Amino acid sequence: MGGFLYGVALQWKLDLRSRTMLIACYAVPLLFFAVMGGIFTSVMPGSNETLIQSMSVFAVTMGALIGLPPSLAEIYRSDVKNAYQANGVPLSLGLVLTNISAFIHLLVMSFILYIAAPIAFDAKIPEYPGAYFAALIILIVVSLSIASVIGLAVKDTANTSMFSILLFLPSIMFSGIMFPKDMLPKVLLAVGKLFPATWGYELMTSDTFSLQMFWPMCGILLAAIVVCGVLLKRIQTR
Amino acid sequence: MDALCVKNLQKSYGKKTVLKGIDLCVPKGNIFALLGVNGAGKTTTLECIEGLRKYDSGNIEINGRIGIQLQSASLPAYIKGMEAVRLFAKWNRVSVDTAMLTALGVSDLANKQYQGMSTGQKRRLHLALALIRNPDIVFLDEPTAGLDVEGRISLHKYIRTLKAEGKTILLASHDMAEVESLCDNIAILKDGQIVFAGTVEQLTKTVGKHYNICVKTEQGTETFEADDIGESLISILKGYQDKNVDILDIQVDRGSLEQHFVKITRGE
Repeated sequence: MGGFLYGVALQWKLDLRSRTMLIACYAVPLLFFAVMGGIFTSVMPGSNETLIQSMSVFAVTMGALIGLPPSLAEIYRSDVKNAYQANGVPLSLGLVLTNISAFIHLLVMSFILYIAAPIAFDAKIPEYPGAYFAALIILIVVSLSIASVIGLAVKDTANTSMFSILLFLPSIMFSGIMFPKDMLPKVLLAVGKLFPATWGYELMTSDTFSLQMFWPMCGILLAAIVVCGVLLKRIQTR
Repeated sequence: MDALCVKNLQKSYGKKTVLKGIDLCVPKGNIFALLGVNGAGKTTTLECIEGLRKYDSGNIEINGRIGIQLQSASLPAYIKGMEAVRLFAKWNRVSVDTAMLTALGVSDLANKQYQGMSTGQKRRLHLALALIRNPDIVFLDEPTAGLDVEGRISLHKYIRTLKAEGKTILLASHDMAEVESLCDNIAILKDGQIVFAGTVEQLTKTVGKHYNICVKTEQGTETFEADDIGESLISILKGYQDKNVDILDIQVDRGSLEQHFVKITRGE
């Protein structure tokens, strides 16, 4: 257990030293919050009611999809994995540690938004904070699982960012955080349902914890875990 | 007793057979070198023995804990030397041997990030990580590749210290001078097969010519290879005397491992 906890703490520190992770998890979401928070609340009346949720969905999706894959690629698409295997460390440890560390960073960022949005833009605090944070945690976990698939699947490290952006953009555009869903064509609405951001936003903005939105998230998570398992096995078998 | 024994090890990548039945045994406490030209199968053999690569058939018996320094290994860019040491030590539930870290100069890298380390510093750190579990058998793949002279000398010294501690060392190297000065036994791999296994002296006997005789005259320099130094020298000197040629200089040296290696791998 000592080794595992040390690994989590170390990975958290390594992420703080990584420019990519800092930009994806903190800098861009804060900038987006500062700029778009002002625009949303002045252009769309009533948007302050869901500002915490929309900003958190952006922060989580950005931090997970853009921030995590490069960390995973650094381990699994380089000789770092050789050092793990040679020194008696299971190959899955890198995946677990980076995910736990990213989870903590995303939770911290979401908490910052939760505190800052009401102060800066008079955003409404969710009526049921327990249900809100439960939904937020589910969104973070599912988003990280998708990010893990990208990090493990993309063979060329340079292509990781490209695939991350390919998933990040529709996640944000079709999730309902940028503009009301009824403005979207049906096709794009259907596409949006493939991404956890859409379900996460719905779950976080609903008054109660709805199982109808929870199960699709479970389905995405399960599929991502299976794919990660297969990819990890493939990387391990030389 | 042997530290490790490999019997009829075979490995293919697709249709290409890389290892065609490797047999080798490494005695305990030996420094054993695996030699071969690029693509001969050295790294594949080592990785199969280390358990990092699957093999098709054969048997590998290892008697003791192993430590591995790979030819190609890396660490996360932002990790500091001591953080890496602690991570692997804690994961393997062993305490950090500070004497070993000091001897390898890794203590100086405690607060240096991996991305800022030189090739030599990275090699020393990876060797320290390989030794963290206090292994009985240490695998070193090209341990001095990319090191400067000072780095090589200090690493050779440390490898000898490991041997003195009773550890067995199996190394793959292209540096023949290094192998000749360090190793008790060698095995030469060619096209996935062991074409020679034994000591350097045995290799010299197998290849044949023990000595190189270099004679410098006013007409130029001639080189002769010889098994029997006495007889050959007399005969060469007599030849020059008969031709009435003045000898300016004579140099006699034992054939190097490199020369023998080249002969064996070229099939001469």
